[in-house]
Amino acid sequence: MHMPEDRPILKVRNLRTRFKTDRGIVTAVDGVSFDLYPGETLGIVGESGCGKSVTNKSIIRLLPERVTQYDPDSNISYHGQNLLELSERQMRSIRGNDIGMIFQEPMTALNPVFTVGWQIEEALKYHSKLSSSRRRDKAIEMLRLVEMPNPVKRMDEYPHQLSGGMRQRVVIAMALCCSPEILIADEPTTALDVTIQSQILRLMDDLKKKTGTAIILITHDLGVVAQACDRVIVMYAGQVVETGGVRDIFHRPRHPYTRALLDSMPKPGAAGHQKRLPAIEGMVPSLFDLPVGCRFADRCQRRQPACEAALPELVDPETKSVTRLATGRTTPSVRCFYPLELRQTKERQV
Amino acid sequence: MFAYIIRKLVYNIPVYLAIVLLVMILLRQRDPVAGLLGKNADAKDYAAKKQELGLNRPFLIQYGDLLRSIFTFQFDEESWTQPGVTVGEKLVEAVPRSLALTVPALVLTSLISIVVAMISAFNRGRFLDKLLVFLAVLGMSISFLVYIIFGQYFGAYQLSQWLGRPVFSIHGYEPGLVNWAYYMLLPVLISVIVSMGYDTRFYRAVMVEETQRDYITTARAKGATRGKVMFVHMLRNAMIPIITRIMITLPFLVTGSILLEQFFGIPGMGYVLLSAIRNNDFPVVETFTAVFAGLFILSIIATDILYALFDPRVRLQ
Amino acid sequence: MSMTDRFFKTREFRKLFRNKSAVIAMLVIAAYLFTALFVMCGGITRETCDTVVGQNKMPGFFIQQTPEQRYENATSKFLPMVQRALSRADQTAALADVRLGQERVVNKSAAQLQAIIDRAIELKNELNQSEDLDADSARLPQLKALEDQVAMLKAPLTGWSRLMQNASLVLGTDAQGRSIFLRGLYSIKIAIQIGLVTAAFCVLLGALLGAAAGYFGGWVDHGIVWVYTTFSSIPNLVLLVVLSYAFTDSEVKDTLLPVYIAFGATFWIGTCRVIRGETLKLKRMEYIQAAQTAGFSPFYILVRHVIPNTAHLMLINFSLLLIGAIKSEVILSFLGFGVKGQPSWGIMIRDAGNNGDVVSGFFWEIGTATALMFALVLAFNILSDALQDAFDPKHV
Ligand SMILES: Nc1ncnc2c1ncn2[C@@H]1O[C@H](COP(=O)(O)OP(=O)(O)O)[C@@H](O)[C@H]1O
Ligand SMILES: [Mg+2]
Repeated sequence: MHMPEDRPILKVRNLRTRFKTDRGIVTAVDGVSFDLYPGETLGIVGESGCGKSVTNKSIIRLLPERVTQYDPDSNISYHGQNLLELSERQMRSIRGNDIGMIFQEPMTALNPVFTVGWQIEEALKYHSKLSSSRRRDKAIEMLRLVEMPNPVKRMDEYPHQLSGGMRQRVVIAMALCCSPEILIADEPTTALDVTIQSQILRLMDDLKKKTGTAIILITHDLGVVAQACDRVIVMYAGQVVETGGVRDIFHRPRHPYTRALLDSMPKPGAAGHQKRLPAIEGMVPSLFDLPVGCRFADRCQRRQPACEAALPELVDPETKSVTRLATGRTTPSVRCFYPLELRQTKERQV
Repeated sequence: MFAYIIRKLVYNIPVYLAIVLLVMILLRQRDPVAGLLGKNADAKDYAAKKQELGLNRPFLIQYGDLLRSIFTFQFDEESWTQPGVTVGEKLVEAVPRSLALTVPALVLTSLISIVVAMISAFNRGRFLDKLLVFLAVLGMSISFLVYIIFGQYFGAYQLSQWLGRPVFSIHGYEPGLVNWAYYMLLPVLISVIVSMGYDTRFYRAVMVEETQRDYITTARAKGATRGKVMFVHMLRNAMIPIITRIMITLPFLVTGSILLEQFFGIPGMGYVLLSAIRNNDFPVVETFTAVFAGLFILSIIATDILYALFDPRVRLQ
Repeated sequence: MSMTDRFFKTREFRKLFRNKSAVIAMLVIAAYLFTALFVMCGGITRETCDTVVGQNKMPGFFIQQTPEQRYENATSKFLPMVQRALSRADQTAALADVRLGQERVVNKSAAQLQAIIDRAIELKNELNQSEDLDADSARLPQLKALEDQVAMLKAPLTGWSRLMQNASLVLGTDAQGRSIFLRGLYSIKIAIQIGLVTAAFCVLLGALLGAAAGYFGGWVDHGIVWVYTTFSSIPNLVLLVVLSYAFTDSEVKDTLLPVYIAFGATFWIGTCRVIRGETLKLKRMEYIQAAQTAGFSPFYILVRHVIPNTAHLMLINFSLLLIGAIKSEVILSFLGFGVKGQPSWGIMIRDAGNNGDVVSGFFWEIGTATALMFALVLAFNILSDALQDAFDPKHV
């Protein structure tokens, strides 16, 4: 396996993203910090609406400028520059070139009126000086790389002529054609059915090994995390609630929310017995009236009076010391006053 | 594609027959003979005139005659109010006049409103956008009549008074390219102003819809500039509704603008048609509407074909 | 919960009422509706609109007139009327018949009246010697005296009649001395009436046909599409003119029936298209398919499930059709194919045009018609936008 190197390639610190809306300002991402190391796959999980996409769109700055504010303390450091302070022009040369992105809906992510080939070549046009015939060759090569059957013929087809899985391959080819250092995949498999889903995940893993690209994989599906990620960040209502290696998260989740997510996951092999998935009760709190205390408190079965009084910090579950920059790489961290103990979680098997 | 056109044409035959029938039936709700004869006619004159006009023939024969002349392009029936002038001659005379007014108006309106719509959509939610949207609604709320009357008053009358020489014609028409600006420019401008509100709003809605599509984000994530996103990705997609809208208005170019022609005394299709209705000139009304309806159907078929050219998802089967 | 409750108590309606400009628009529309109701209850009749209330083409807002206009004003209508009445055999009856708007002859003996008139004629003749009263300030006292004489012929106005007389002059008079204000208000009723009848009829017809076409498909669909394709292949204005031409030759001539027929035959098409499209979409919905498999009759499903779910589109279309009908009425009336025998904004604009008002700089009549129509259409446009925003935000 490709060994992760030791210097992070992307450092996100204290990211706070706010939106101006009709009903006031909301903080959609509230103090997220993490590091991304070369060659690793970092998973970001959480129910929908908890700020995963906003976090990642903040990184490549694709949020609507007029309504988006970043906190002055926020910093996204990439090769020594703060991405949040770059001009639109500088950002453009990074997007697609150094940081690629894959989206959730392969059905709509491609422009319906241009051919597949045109759309892959477009990225090369912006970031390389290749001649048009070399661009075409490169695009065909990319299609081959993403294991697209019959790549030469596909070049001149339109998106509607492809299946969902094939379209997602095109999107991946497009995102990777300039060999970016970082690939952000926002729920790349959510819209696909299960067999295609694992094909795509395997493809991404292969490509990562070939190219050494670091991947941020956003998903609400822990199954995807288990299959593809090295490290996991669990988000809830705009905040990180737990971080850790993928084994830590699965074998000994410390945050009740992570535990609840795991419980609501269909268990492999248990399909016959399974009556109904225990979905987490209650709803994600509205960003307009967040509680003072722990944001998960009102849905938490282990709730104590203290939980509603103050917001817990991210701490090292062993030492209980505050780990503000907890990236979960060496030690896990959890945002809970009463994290689950090992014995409470050990019966889980993956 | 050829098969498609044929099939579409065949499919539209019943529609076309119904249009001609509808117009004939409607016209025959009234008795044109008395109106054409004047006050002092007696019953014998009346019968003779009715015979002459062919109105005493069975309805189906009249219907068949009209259809025959339409499908053979033999528009040689005489106008009832202008004996000696055939309907075909009137048509050939009137159509270019209408086109001289409507074609420039359509081109100008479309270009200006697409650009304004893009500016508006691009600045969505900002002051400029809100202002443009508000102006469009204001513009749409003023009656066409008012635009014409005041346009004519200030553009033709007051301006001439002020400059001491006529700039635009108030009423009347002469053919010829050199005269175009004098007779046509003002009506064209008025028409542009009237249509601007509607078109801008429509195109803006189209553009706004496109700006929210996922492929826009994909393109930006590839590093595309704002301009490339707008003019390559968005505009190409927006072309589909834009073309539809323009194609739908094409046949109306021929009928011209009834009101503008009426006010400025330009004897185009609209003008001729309206006076024909007023004067019970059935052949002119029937032929003009039939020709128009034919063009309308053809342009709908043409729209389908253009659709297929611009939108790879559409296949003509 | 009843069906109407389900519709009216939704988030969409709350969104609508949060929209400030929409609320203002609704208030404006309410004011128009109120006026229309007032007219309909006999507040302003056709006769009132045709009554001469003053001199021809009098400016509104009681604007100070030039001496020439004041001279015209004093000598043109009331004075000759009284003069004529006095010379008639049935003097008393004729005098009682003299009326200019609310103005009546004062209760004096014939001899007294004659004396006033003689004095007035005398003053008039003196003033006639002047070439241009506007330039001749020396004659102003005489003009004043003449006006006083004419005023002495009139019975003093009190209370309601005074209010009515002032009101009817507030926006001036048209080329025949009729009140522009009253005619403008009466036209509100015409516009609202035509708008409401057309919109209600066409929305219902369009919704029924559209839902039926979309739901049943097959021949029903083909038939309905065929009918509306036919109607929409004739330019709208031409069709309207031909329709109203066709139905004008009968006893319905002076009613609004030809206009209703013309609008009713054409305006349902847009709604029908939209509802048909929506029904095609709804048909694929699970609950409709469930109802079908459960064996409910198609008619029941149509009325209970399909049509209520297009209610928001019907509402938007209602508002749009109202605007369309009001605007088209004005144009048709202007062309002489619309309203006849009673005032309408189109007729007021046409009268203004025919009488050379615009060219001579007399904008009161055309201005009144335009402004009244503009405010109403603007209000409906704003309301339609707000409805669309609230109920059908994805619409292009
Ligand atoms: N442009 C925006 N304006 C206002 N709120 C937004 C905007 N974009 C996202 N949000 C809010 O931010 C929150 C997080 O959204 P998102 O990151 O898309 O969630 P997810 O975790 O499912 O990807 C949501 O509550 C969403 O409503
Ligand atoms: Mg998301």
